[in-house]
Amino acid sequence: MLDPVDLARLASLDLRARTIVEGAFSGMHRNLHAGTSVEFTEHREYAPGDEIRRIDWKAVGRADRYYVKRFEDETEMHTFLVLDASASMGYRRRGISKLDYAGYLASALAYLVGQQGDAAGLLLFDENARSFLPPSTRPGQIREVFRLLEAAQPAGRTDAALALGHLGEQIDKRSLIIFMSDLLDCEPDEPGGGEARGPLPGRLRQLRARGHDVALFHLLDPDEVELPFDDLIFFEGMEPGDTRTLLAQAPDLAEAFGRESEAFRDRWRAACLEASVEYRFARTDAAPAEVLRAFLADRQRAVRF
Amino acid sequence: MHFLAPSLLLGLLAAVLPWLIHLIGKRRALPMRFAAMQLLLRSERRISARRRLREVLLLVARTSVAAALPLIFARPFAERTTDVPVASLDPQSAVIVLDDSASMSRSAGLSTLFDRARDRARALVRQFPSDVDLALLLASAGSSPKISELSPERARVLEALDSLVCSARLADFASALRNASLILAGSAHAKRRIYLFTDLQATGWEAGTGLAAEGAPEVIIDDVSGAARWENRAVLDVGVVPAPEAGAGGIAVDAELADYSAAGTRALGVALKVDGVSVAKGFVDLTPGGRGHKRFLHRLTSEGGGAHDVEVEIDGDALRLDDHRLAHVELARTMSVLIVNGDPRTARNEDEPFFFAAALRNGLPGAVVTVKLPDDVSPESLANTTLVALLNLAQPSEALAAALVRFVSAGGGLFISVGDRVDATVWNQRMAKLLPQPLGLPRTASALPGQHAGEIVDDRPAERLAPIDRNHPLLASFPEHGEGLVSARFFKYMLLDPAPESPERSVILHYESGAPALVEKQVGKGRVMLLSTTVDREWTDLPIRAGFLPLVREAARRLVGVTGDEETASLRAGEARSLAFAGDEQRLEVSRPDGSVWVARREQANSARTVLYSETDRLGTYHVRAVGPDGTVTARPEQDFVVNLDTRESNPARLDPALRPDRIAAASPGAKPPKHRVELWHTLAAVMIGLLLCESALTLRRRSV
Repeated sequence: MLDPVDLARLASLDLRARTIVEGAFSGMHRNLHAGTSVEFTEHREYAPGDEIRRIDWKAVGRADRYYVKRFEDETEMHTFLVLDASASMGYRRRGISKLDYAGYLASALAYLVGQQGDAAGLLLFDENARSFLPPSTRPGQIREVFRLLEAAQPAGRTDAALALGHLGEQIDKRSLIIFMSDLLDCEPDEPGGGEARGPLPGRLRQLRARGHDVALFHLLDPDEVELPFDDLIFFEGMEPGDTRTLLAQAPDLAEAFGRESEAFRDRWRAACLEASVEYRFARTDAAPAEVLRAFLADRQRAVRF
Repeated sequence: MHFLAPSLLLGLLAAVLPWLIHLIGKRRALPMRFAAMQLLLRSERRISARRRLREVLLLVARTSVAAALPLIFARPFAERTTDVPVASLDPQSAVIVLDDSASMSRSAGLSTLFDRARDRARALVRQFPSDVDLALLLASAGSSPKISELSPERARVLEALDSLVCSARLADFASALRNASLILAGSAHAKRRIYLFTDLQATGWEAGTGLAAEGAPEVIIDDVSGAARWENRAVLDVGVVPAPEAGAGGIAVDAELADYSAAGTRALGVALKVDGVSVAKGFVDLTPGGRGHKRFLHRLTSEGGGAHDVEVEIDGDALRLDDHRLAHVELARTMSVLIVNGDPRTARNEDEPFFFAAALRNGLPGAVVTVKLPDDVSPESLANTTLVALLNLAQPSEALAAALVRFVSAGGGLFISVGDRVDATVWNQRMAKLLPQPLGLPRTASALPGQHAGEIVDDRPAERLAPIDRNHPLLASFPEHGEGLVSARFFKYMLLDPAPESPERSVILHYESGAPALVEKQVGKGRVMLLSTTVDREWTDLPIRAGFLPLVREAARRLVGVTGDEETASLRAGEARSLAFAGDEQRLEVSRPDGSVWVARREQANSARTVLYSETDRLGTYHVRAVGPDGTVTARPEQDFVVNLDTRESNPARLDPALRPDRIAAASPGAKPPKHRVELWHTLAAVMIGLLLCESALTLRRRSV
């Protein structure tokens, strides 16, 4: 499997998405949705990743082509890719930025959804909803997703709760919502959300209450996990209007920072567990295909049980 | 603070280097836009207090090290004004005389006057220019000089000063100043000075200054007492006498107390201690400058041996040495005396043993005295006897003579006195092994002796005793000129035939004619004493003389080998004690109050078989032991002695200013006091090393974080 830096060398996001998907799905099925309904609605031509047991062998006999049965839940399921494109997602020192990494994952997922004939939508946000592409199965939808992702530049402050609120107003069908962010400056314990949680966990809980399937990809640069600097550094905030600064000997801070970072992730993991949201942490130096593979494998296990 | 090389202080500018490095380091910080600022700030808050403290400490340590280096090279020093004599600044030869007499041990604040004197002497030595020749003497009587040759080695003098301790002896300034003057006589310097550190107590100046009227060195006195008034109380004397009224082992302890204050003392606590345990306490009122007495009655027991330390102690004051005084007493073993009456008379006062038995009964109250006629004495009757006295016995039977040889050889005592009835031939034949010298012919005095004033005398021709030798233990308790003994008249006595010189035999008393009067001989473990006259008034009036009772008592004790239940010899600190070898003893050991042991060998003894012990610096009880040729150790309680303070040291009277030997003032009025230089670079170097260690520890800790 290619690491993020190798993937960045590939020419287009389309190609990268395919590469990730091929890497992730070598030897496994590519079922993304967890829905299981018994009400048959239509046939669809077989695509790699479809479960073998869903092939309609009678239709194969009649048409000499492979068709799979589609049930009501599957045809109704939309996939929303929600990406944080604020300035903090642009941080990188080595390798690629968090926004690029989120783009790789999102494009791979969009490619996969498109391959399965499902509808994929995209929301890019900072402190507002910057780009919104409603889900659709029309031809060119996935290409449009790729275009928006490639064009996305990190900028502005973050307000994930606002973006998810906006999304909640837009969708009326049960959907799979895949949310990717670094969640920095966004504490799960901040006041304002429901049940003593912050506003973002509150939004996630609302989405879950409406029947949406929600997965949260928590993306962090390795520097945001370990603080591996040796020098005296003058740190400055990245987002507009962030005037926070700190002059420090980085080695003095490294141990305390590592503990803080781990505690921060633990808090978000607990908040997601409480909101029945799937939490996945990924460092931007991890192979995207591996992250995707783990995500899909877990979901397939969830379907079986 | 002053500096030997102040130009090097320019190096102090280096102290700003750590600050510059710190500031430049801040400017050289890499700027970085970082997303996880919240996590970063939280981490910073968590460790900021410790980190900032460490950074401040590091900065301080580095700045201090940078500043310390040029400071050290600039050789800083401080000048302390001292009150040491100005005269010390001249080139000169100087003898430092330190008063180490007992009065200097009195407390003055947290230390003693002696400590203060020593400190001031140290300051003086440091103050002297380097070319001054120095010597060091002590002012107590009998002290040996510490540094008796002039030398410019200040370190040696300082070392000697450090090793000094205050003695309990009397001061003797005349000797000390005379010795100092003699040392300075050979000086190459024109200026010769004696620096005397003392409390200016009048005691010790009785013999004058010891300095010649012409050409004597200058004397500078440093009065370390500051002329402060000193009020003192002291135990002047402690006497212990038997007190039969208190029961068996009863003693009466008489203490004489003195007050040396302007207001007197009310209810002064006086305690009696026996073997270190307080057994009685009382109170005494003392008038200003007056005397007081206190008597204690106490019963001694034989537990732990018959020897006891009896001490009288009063409430403490500045001079602790004279707040207690010691006596050492030895309970007499039960003495059983068998007197063989060789010339019984019907009139009691004419009876041979009349005076002798009375002297024993009164001199040794615990003694059991039995008088028998010669025919009643059998060898078996010696069984429970410790002392046999044969008084004017005509001739001892052969059986008795043989029994007496066994008796004496086994440790018994035998006293023999002669008279008209004695058959010298038979005696010399049967008692040859026991007699110190063979008996000879009786001799009658032919001349009238001199007459003492007021003396009632017999008008018969008589002889007297030659001057006594008080070095003999038997005579040690007699007055210096033997009063009460040398006045006795001897009308007749028995001459003794010559005997070969022997270490076992010694003549204790002589007549004026040179003939032996009292002779003793060691036989085995016992002793025999022969008196060559009678113990009644037939041949002498000795029995009615004051010295007869103590002579009989001491003779009986010596023959039996015990001392009486009264105090043993008491010496003043610094006084010498004569110790006698007995029999074939090879070594005498003196166990001192501090536990150390002094040893004298037989070879060191003089012709009288005595040695002189003079190391009586410490107050307390000194025990004597004898070591025989086979290594057996025997206690010699009769030679034990106690050392007490010479109470002249208790008197706080100050020396009359007219008698002071000062020739120049210690400090002239208006003169600038001299200054003492204290080098500081050693301290700074130590501080710098400490700072470097701190800096290293902080840096290492920072790296490990």
